[in-house]
Amino acid sequence: MNAALRSLGLSGITGNPVAFAVALALMALLLFVPAAHNDYFNLVFRNILMYAAMAYGWNLIGGYTGYVSFGNVAFFGIGCYCSGVLSTHGVDSLLADVALAVAVNALFANLLGRVVLRLRGPYFGIATLGIGVAVAEIIANLDALGGTSGLALHQVDEAHFGVYYYAMWLVALASMLGTFFITRSKVGYAFVAVRENEDAAAALGIPATKYKIRAWMLGAMMGAAAGAVFAPANGFIDPSITFSPDSNVFPIVMTILGGIGTVAGPFIGALILAGVNELLQRYIVNAHTLFFGTMIVLVVLLLPRGLVWLFGLRGGVRAWLRSLTAYRA
Amino acid sequence: MDGILAGGVLAIVAIGFSLVWGIMNIINLAHGAFVMLGAYVTYELYAVYHVDPFLSLPVSFVVLFAIGYAVQRWIINWVVRAPILTTFLLTFGLSLLIVNVALIIWTGDRRGIETAYSGTNFTLLGVTVPWVKLFTLVAALVITGALQLWLTRSKTGRAIRATAMDIGAAQLSGVRVARIYAIVFGLGAGLAGVAGTLIALSSSINPNMGDPFLISAFAVCVLGGLGSVQGALIGGLVYGVIQAVATSVQFTVGGQLISGSGLSDAVAFIVLLLVLIFRPTGIMGRAVA
Repeated sequence: MNAALRSLGLSGITGNPVAFAVALALMALLLFVPAAHNDYFNLVFRNILMYAAMAYGWNLIGGYTGYVSFGNVAFFGIGCYCSGVLSTHGVDSLLADVALAVAVNALFANLLGRVVLRLRGPYFGIATLGIGVAVAEIIANLDALGGTSGLALHQVDEAHFGVYYYAMWLVALASMLGTFFITRSKVGYAFVAVRENEDAAAALGIPATKYKIRAWMLGAMMGAAAGAVFAPANGFIDPSITFSPDSNVFPIVMTILGGIGTVAGPFIGALILAGVNELLQRYIVNAHTLFFGTMIVLVVLLLPRGLVWLFGLRGGVRAWLRSLTAYRA
Repeated sequence: MDGILAGGVLAIVAIGFSLVWGIMNIINLAHGAFVMLGAYVTYELYAVYHVDPFLSLPVSFVVLFAIGYAVQRWIINWVVRAPILTTFLLTFGLSLLIVNVALIIWTGDRRGIETAYSGTNFTLLGVTVPWVKLFTLVAALVITGALQLWLTRSKTGRAIRATAMDIGAAQLSGVRVARIYAIVFGLGAGLAGVAGTLIALSSSINPNMGDPFLISAFAVCVLGGLGSVQGALIGGLVYGVIQAVATSVQFTVGGQLISGSGLSDAVAFIVLLLVLIFRPTGIMGRAVA
């Protein structure tokens, strides 16, 4: 099957170079959004950047290492709470927020990973289903973190509000470039080796669990950084905001739509889906999760390798149709 | 005691989940959504046609069997042989889809069924036992036995087991694999529907009710061992007891009152992790390859 995919134009673990160039150009364009001086645009695009960073985090473990995680929202949420705790102690520095969130979540992911990443494939996936729920429940029961009533964070004055946008842009850019350099390194190839065949990777001297934990940690740091910027930008956090199902599902769907295990995919997916979601929430309230469910089903069936795949597709519609029936019973 | 009775429902949920997983190698993340649909079938029959919930048991089985059969035949079948993570994501999407359609139809309100016998108990050796829960436990036992018999004795049952062992060989022997897969998936969904009906009898229902059951079903499968019908039954009972005990505990840490009752999902998750760490093979199966 791999040979067939290669003949369709899939090569390398960075994904299609044209797609990456397009993604970089779009990312550069987003730097100019605050120039429009439109608060609504700033909010929408800041959310897009936030989801992109989370999607990159998910992509490392789910896409490159092949371990589908349903618990990455925990890192985002804990990242939010790192900022929240700093703010309640009078520290209001985005740099400190991000640094603390990244450090705490790297440690948390490492410790948790030692347990859950010993599990293979779907066992890991289901074990992670509970992580977000469990962390949210525990925080909701801790009065020191505001419990269910949440925490208010100190914000900068309105004239300097753009700082949150630029911070989020940097987080997303760092996640994208980080992913790019990882896929250009030995570490990235170790991730992919684990995904393709864990036993063969182990036989070649790649300590699978060690690399799985690395992928999980690096991904956790991206999600955490996004959370650390989101919390002060939003000004208020509680368990239902920071551990919302949307924050769990969106990054996954975005990565799948854009292209799982590619560098351009998560960002392109985030741009499209967060944009569509914004329109849906304005015009068809309460249907956006339904839309996302339908989207996952359609993409898995029709575009199993995501939109980025289309950049390198050879053989036209017929090759595409043939690839769809490859796994039929 | 309460735990053993609650474990009966979990066992029925887990048997369907385990069947689909063991035979088709699909981890059906839409299983919780099927449980929810079963509950709403019962609710609708009761609210609109005043059908006794117990009489709606076969109806919700048949309705959910049909839904499961169709979903497998026309959706999942396209990727059924792809790596397990593909169907994992696909059923995750299906679950979101089903739950949100349900939210549109029935809204997020909690609903309940009130019957003449819903609050009645009897006392046995000083323990209060609700009739409904006792019936649920008996149903779990009967389903386990019947399923085991059917899988080993009937022609279809043997074809199902043959497919699980070796698809190619089964196909060569004249087994229509796509049909068998659809039957197994339908059966899994049907059992989820039965569980949903039983849940609707004893607690209130809403479209998001399925997820805790999905996570529990997974924990039960891991506890009992994958693909084993008896394992799922035993796992369900053990898990029910653990959850009942854990959620009734209260203690204080540094002036912070920690009550188990608000932490039922966290407890489920921690139990799951502990089992995976200390007994990865389950009571009678394997978890870490």
